[in-house]
Amino acid sequence: MKEKDLYVEFEPQKLVYYVEKDDKSYGPIISGSQLSANYLDDFWIKRRNLEKKLRKRIIANEISPVFYYMTLQEMGPKDLASRIGISYLKLKRIFNPEHFKKLKVEKLTVLADIFNIPVSNLFQTFLIKDDDREKLVLEQETTENELYHITKVSVK
Amino acid sequence: MDTKIDFQHKMSAHCETGTLTSLLSNVGLEITEPMAFGISHGIFFGYFKSKNFPFPTFIVRSRPGEIREKLSNALKIELKRFKFKNQEEGMQKLDSLLDEGHVVGTQVDFFYMDYLPEWIRVHNNVHFVNIIGKKDTDYIVSDSYHQRTANINSSLLKKARWAGGYMAPNGFLYYPLKVNPDVDLKKPIINGIKKACRNMLNIPIPFLGVKGIYKFADKINTWPQLTRDIEHLSHEIMKINILLEDQGTGGAGFRYMYATFLKQASNILNNPVLNEMSERIMEIGDDWRNISYFAAKIGKNRDLGANRIKELSELIRKQGDAEKKFFTDLKKVY
Repeated sequence: MKEKDLYVEFEPQKLVYYVEKDDKSYGPIISGSQLSANYLDDFWIKRRNLEKKLRKRIIANEISPVFYYMTLQEMGPKDLASRIGISYLKLKRIFNPEHFKKLKVEKLTVLADIFNIPVSNLFQTFLIKDDDREKLVLEQETTENELYHITKVSVK
Repeated sequence: MDTKIDFQHKMSAHCETGTLTSLLSNVGLEITEPMAFGISHGIFFGYFKSKNFPFPTFIVRSRPGEIREKLSNALKIELKRFKFKNQEEGMQKLDSLLDEGHVVGTQVDFFYMDYLPEWIRVHNNVHFVNIIGKKDTDYIVSDSYHQRTANINSSLLKKARWAGGYMAPNGFLYYPLKVNPDVDLKKPIINGIKKACRNMLNIPIPFLGVKGIYKFADKINTWPQLTRDIEHLSHEIMKINILLEDQGTGGAGFRYMYATFLKQASNILNNPVLNEMSERIMEIGDDWRNISYFAAKIGKNRDLGANRIKELSELIRKQGDAEKKFFTDLKKVY
């Protein structure tokens, strides 16, 4: 791949690629990601649609938040079970909301830690309306109490 | 105590070769990223389906950690390595190594590297970064995928080091103890080439090496049955592009980096045949890149009917043919 054919301007995600340079030598260049530069909008559309579909299933009591976050964060079930420290079969059970409801707070904190979310987000979702997305920003802060988080909404 | 070790941060194509070559350069051994990759016979292919992954996937390099181990064996580099069950002990060891002035290579779950863009962060336990200092409750990180050094909070770094799960990092740390700056690369290069050929051609497992490329070509036809809906299929098809181009490969699933290695090897060994082979694998890389573009395009357009997937499958199969011939010919060089 020649350098001129590969280079893309995309500041948020730069990568090192190996290319054929003008003098015929091969070596590294830093370029923007071609995929992100051209297709990131499509990624976000699919991501929001998936969130929406999974949220509906939580509301309908078809899946637990564990299944929701595992799917969104693209984790394999066996990998997740191993991170939690339970068997794959036990994990499958807590995909079911009825079993999820019986989990102890201790186990919920382990799950929240893996998904890197406040524990409270296993029971709620914050949404900013499409029209307000450009104007508002939502930040969740940890506190010294691992079970207690503060959510701040501010105007950009 | 705050510490920051004098260290030249630079971006690299790949995290494992990037952190390793930077660490080695810091202690006096200058070796390029492609050379490290080639000597450690990092080039590979494998197609996997496992409950450890959310969907079938493929790899384009050897097992994570092998590049470090194979290179250190080939070049007689002494590395000091640590793993920890106890997290506090593992964090204290990192601090004490920094206090002693060592830049420390660290294995982490990529998902928690919050200085990188959100859309690229996935759970992957085999990301490598160098820790070059500490300031208050933050560690200073030299990550090959980031344009400059970054800070990460100690609690997040701890989470990333003991993420658990498949290929768990277990707090892994390492740094070079002793290197030979004048090491002769000729024999390690030849050995690296021979082993790469063996791995691509002779492993008797039907989803590894060139056989893995053919397996991928076959199995991609079944992907529509494995997905939730058209958007899921689109996402998985477009991930082919990510795995080949954006996930630290230097482009075309490490084939461009391997071409660069062969070019450098040709100069060191004064062997023009390796230069020809370098040009051939560069062309094979171009065809992988065309597959990436094609996958991204049909994924975005949701042009994912059976015929289109079959077309993609045939393009992949041709890569199997091309790499089979390439590595068979490369094997004949030494």
